[in-house]
Amino acid sequence: MEDEQLMQEVKAGDVGRLELLFDRHHRALFHFFLHLTGNRAASEDLVQEVFFRILKYRHTYQPGTSFRSWIFQVGRNAHLDYAGRHKAEVTMPEEVVEFRSSETAPDRQAQNRQQTVLLRRALAALPREKREVLVMSRFLELRYEEIASVLKCEVGTVKVRVYRALRDLSDRFFALSGERAS
Amino acid sequence: MSCERMREQIPECLAGRLDDAARERFIAHLDTCSACRAEVAQLGVVWRGLESLPLPEPDAAMRSRFLEVLEAYQAGMQQAQERAIVSAKRSGRIFAWWPTRTAWQAAMAAALVIVGGLTGRYLAAPRAAAPAATTEVAQLKGQVENLRQLVALSLLQEQSPSSRIRGASYSDQIAQPDRQVQQALLHTMNHDSNVNVRLSAVDALEKYAANPEIRRALVDAVPVQDSPLVQIALIDLLVQIDDRDALAAFRKLAREPQVDADVRQRATWAIGKLEVPK
Repeated sequence: MEDEQLMQEVKAGDVGRLELLFDRHHRALFHFFLHLTGNRAASEDLVQEVFFRILKYRHTYQPGTSFRSWIFQVGRNAHLDYAGRHKAEVTMPEEVVEFRSSETAPDRQAQNRQQTVLLRRALAALPREKREVLVMSRFLELRYEEIASVLKCEVGTVKVRVYRALRDLSDRFFALSGERAS
Repeated sequence: MSCERMREQIPECLAGRLDDAARERFIAHLDTCSACRAEVAQLGVVWRGLESLPLPEPDAAMRSRFLEVLEAYQAGMQQAQERAIVSAKRSGRIFAWWPTRTAWQAAMAAALVIVGGLTGRYLAAPRAAAPAATTEVAQLKGQVENLRQLVALSLLQEQSPSSRIRGASYSDQIAQPDRQVQQALLHTMNHDSNVNVRLSAVDALEKYAANPEIRRALVDAVPVQDSPLVQIALIDLLVQIDDRDALAAFRKLAREPQVDADVRQRATWAIGKLEVPK
């Protein structure tokens, strides 16, 4: 069954149907928040908060609205509330990356690991608006139309924002790597 | 097409989302523009690098926490429905015996006045002490009530947000909550770190809105809450209980440009509701 149909049932009072929507979307929401906060516990709390808000404000869901866009709109607002209370900078946890391929040479592995650490730092240093749009596009694979609906802007604006965010990330990454960012 | 317009398509190209015609145009441009080729190469390194960032899986306990909240919410909904049915039945029962004809209504009213007078005389007369059984039942009721208050207070101090939400909802079962429970709910509404718990506390405080001290605390909480969601819930509650003392706070809120736009809009709506003469 489609997300939108399930949400209509939740709105009509069959709130138990939200369990299926939780199973489908909690992982993507968790990753969204993890990239924005860098804090695992806070991200898990934010996911809970999004689903609680959906329960409480289910009557505001408009039929015909993409559920995925709506849930990320709710998530974005929840994060803005959170960010207002926690002004500290985002610090991404620098976990050791495990490369599964046994064919990768040890020095190549070390280089990849270093690259991942720098990329993670560069991403964490991006301004929130740029990080947000890049995470939605690159990690959550939201279509530009969906991102436009979340951010309440034109599709053309999303296109420009994603490009600028990637450009900024690239500059920061190559600056950290000690290379010229052209 | 200009280089700038072409470069805006780089993320879509790297994600493989350009349609055939757009991709053809993009490749044709790259064939003739070395600067754009360099840009694609550099951004491509970063785009592909992002794929290697490990994304940890959410904790499995997250699902059980969610189900716990969902269960508590469903229980709350069911209780509210049952209360509504009981109250509808009660009001139906109360008025079922009332006659529809005016003459009979007048006769019934006269009979009630006589019964009222006789009852008053009976109650004013000196009576013997209440039987022991009635006292015991009253004591037992008191003990159960104390136990409920203790459970609500201890749940409100729990570490997990879902337990604190249960604490706020549980307080609703207390017939006459003491000052300690009311203060605990006010403290939760104003200071809990979790927005969901604060919202549950607002819901639970609705029951005590007749208390002027609670009403004042609800009004005072509106401008200081940092969550627009809680502010809107408070505004809705104050409109529901028709608290006109909140008007000044709402007017101030509606004027403040730094206040969340949704909250300002809700405050304006609330002013309109409360200003209507009743």
